[in-house]
Amino acid sequence: MITWELSRRRRQFFWMAALTCLGVLFFNGFFGQSVDRAIAQSSKTLTMGTSADYKPFEFHDTSSGQDKIVGYDIDVAERIAKDLGFELKINDMDFNGLIPALQSKRVDFVMSGVTLTAERKKSIDFSDIYYIVQNTILAKKDSGLTTEASLNGKIVGTQLGSVQQKVAKKIPGAKLETRNKISELIQELNAGRIDAVIVEDVSAKSYVNINPNLQFSVLQGNEEGYAIAFPKGSNLVQPFNRAIATMKQDGTLKQLDQKWFSAQAKPTQSGFQRILPSIPYILGGIPVTLAFTFVSLFFGVILAVILAMCKISAIAPLRWLANAYTSVFRGVPLIVTLTLIYYATPQLTGYKIEPFQAGVLTFALNSGAYVSETLRAGIVAVDKGQQEAAMSLGVPYRLMMSDIILPQAFKNILPALANEFINLLKDSALVSTIGAADLLRRATVVGAETYLYFQPLIIVAIAYYLMIILLTFGTSILEKRLQKSA
Amino acid sequence: MLKVDDLHKSFGTLKVLSGITTQVDQGEVVAILGPSGSGKSTFLRCLNLLEQPTSGNIYFKDVRINDPQCNILKTRANIVMVFQHFNLFPHLTVLQNITYAPMKVKGLSKEQARSIGIDLLEKVDLAEKADVYPSRLSGGQKQRVAIARALAMQPEMVLFDEPTSALDPEMVKEVLEVMQSLAQSGMTMAIVTHEMGFARKVANRILFLNDGVLAEDTTPQEFFTNPQCDRAKIFLDKMLK
Repeated sequence: MITWELSRRRRQFFWMAALTCLGVLFFNGFFGQSVDRAIAQSSKTLTMGTSADYKPFEFHDTSSGQDKIVGYDIDVAERIAKDLGFELKINDMDFNGLIPALQSKRVDFVMSGVTLTAERKKSIDFSDIYYIVQNTILAKKDSGLTTEASLNGKIVGTQLGSVQQKVAKKIPGAKLETRNKISELIQELNAGRIDAVIVEDVSAKSYVNINPNLQFSVLQGNEEGYAIAFPKGSNLVQPFNRAIATMKQDGTLKQLDQKWFSAQAKPTQSGFQRILPSIPYILGGIPVTLAFTFVSLFFGVILAVILAMCKISAIAPLRWLANAYTSVFRGVPLIVTLTLIYYATPQLTGYKIEPFQAGVLTFALNSGAYVSETLRAGIVAVDKGQQEAAMSLGVPYRLMMSDIILPQAFKNILPALANEFINLLKDSALVSTIGAADLLRRATVVGAETYLYFQPLIIVAIAYYLMIILLTFGTSILEKRLQKSA
Repeated sequence: MLKVDDLHKSFGTLKVLSGITTQVDQGEVVAILGPSGSGKSTFLRCLNLLEQPTSGNIYFKDVRINDPQCNILKTRANIVMVFQHFNLFPHLTVLQNITYAPMKVKGLSKEQARSIGIDLLEKVDLAEKADVYPSRLSGGQKQRVAIARALAMQPEMVLFDEPTSALDPEMVKEVLEVMQSLAQSGMTMAIVTHEMGFARKVANRILFLNDGVLAEDTTPQEFFTNPQCDRAKIFLDKMLK
């Protein structure tokens, strides 16, 4: 991974690399779908890379129950593409995947609130600045925190790895706190654990809109500008600049300003009313979550059977291998395994593993380790006479295991298996960290769109809980039925 | 039919069988008696190789079955065993218990296995229990099913390891009756038992084991009226009191 000079609103690349290696939780972004360049070029299509989690520049609009990427950047890009006679195609990906996508020319340009800096100009080309942002101090209304000087001795929060983090560091006497998301900073601000938050003005406006008890003040001398990024040497830079100039002159940019930044009406509805239209989108994560859980458990149990067979095998190396495997996968936190598999696999093998695959692989490997231990105990608990009876009838070992011993062992461990299933269902929320659109991930997306933090989470909490209640009910029925047969 | 030649068996340093030599002819019913710990069960379990002999040879129809080259599964399918604790498969119905091995081991069709199974269930007087699970049966019924399961393999010899020891007294009779009629049908049988009356009435021969040695090998008449060794006398004294 490239270590990228840290100067945008978001995480820095070296942070991403460090987080990846450490397996620290982070959120964000779908992995980019590969684009067939040949087709794209022949049909006069321009492919734009963006990380659609930055309202109102680019974000998922789920208010219709459908999922659509909209925003200021999208409108600007649509207009430019139209002016130049191209079809626009949007490729949503993680922010840290944008620059590599540019360099490998999988996208023609990137619009994602990218800040123009001298360092970045060395490896990619930029258009003229199309949007100017300012950093602001966001604080409670009665706090009196409106100037840099007033922040002396106060606790100041910024988003981890953001440009603002760098800015805040220079504030004399301020105690720095970082969080992964701006929405988390706002919660901290409201809870009084943080005195002020440094964010750019666009976010500040949106949050003040939602939280009338907050106010923001421009932090003087901290202007920066967003520009469109291109691969080095791209012949699109000049036409794009001309289009931007036209849009500046004919008032298009002003209109878009109005559309996306000023037109946000004060919320008159409650938080739940406002996310109501997005609920179908959030609940669309249920099949994703269930698919993760079922597929993972399916492969996990197959793996567990193999491992358990090894563990009770007479061949010592097989036992060692199975025990070592179990020890490793039980000893490493799931989130670490998941992050390693998702990010290391492409680098080690060149195979760009999809979030779903990485998730299933991780959970299957992990639950295989757990279930194998349970299953081994379940096998040992089967009366030895069963094995002798099968043997004395001339039943081969493999058939004895699959037809006589394992069915009884699985019955023994059914309650434990149901538990594992429930754990897996809840743990599957971890896949949201690599961008799979499961329940939790969708709640985050809606949260970013509506600036609401708790309501989407409460929706998914209820969804998880109901699923688990149903599952528990289902397994208890199954247990009762099995008990009848013996 | 079955020949045992200088059979030794040790578990670690514990010597259980020390040089047993005997034979069982076709159609013979052999009762294996002896005080507890004398090695009766171990001896029986060596005969279908549930235990591997430490040394010595076992021949079945002149084939050395404890030869590593010899197919142990085939031997076991032919010399089946009935256990003290029945060991029915709890997750299968009575009929499935009986038809499983004939289908999976001998490759019989489902219909063939079923007809054999139903036939056998009628013989042990449990035809109406074909589709229930073992947990619904009494001990005596379970053991009769276990016998039917063993016979479904159409074996040449049946080994019984204390088949009535785990039963309530009132259920012993129904199992012994089944065994007796099996003996009368000409099946070759070896029975480890504490049922002296049954051994005397049904067996053709008595093997008396003491401390891993074959102390007496004689007829029931001879054994029960005129035991040769002192240990057998003490044993009979205790058992027949």
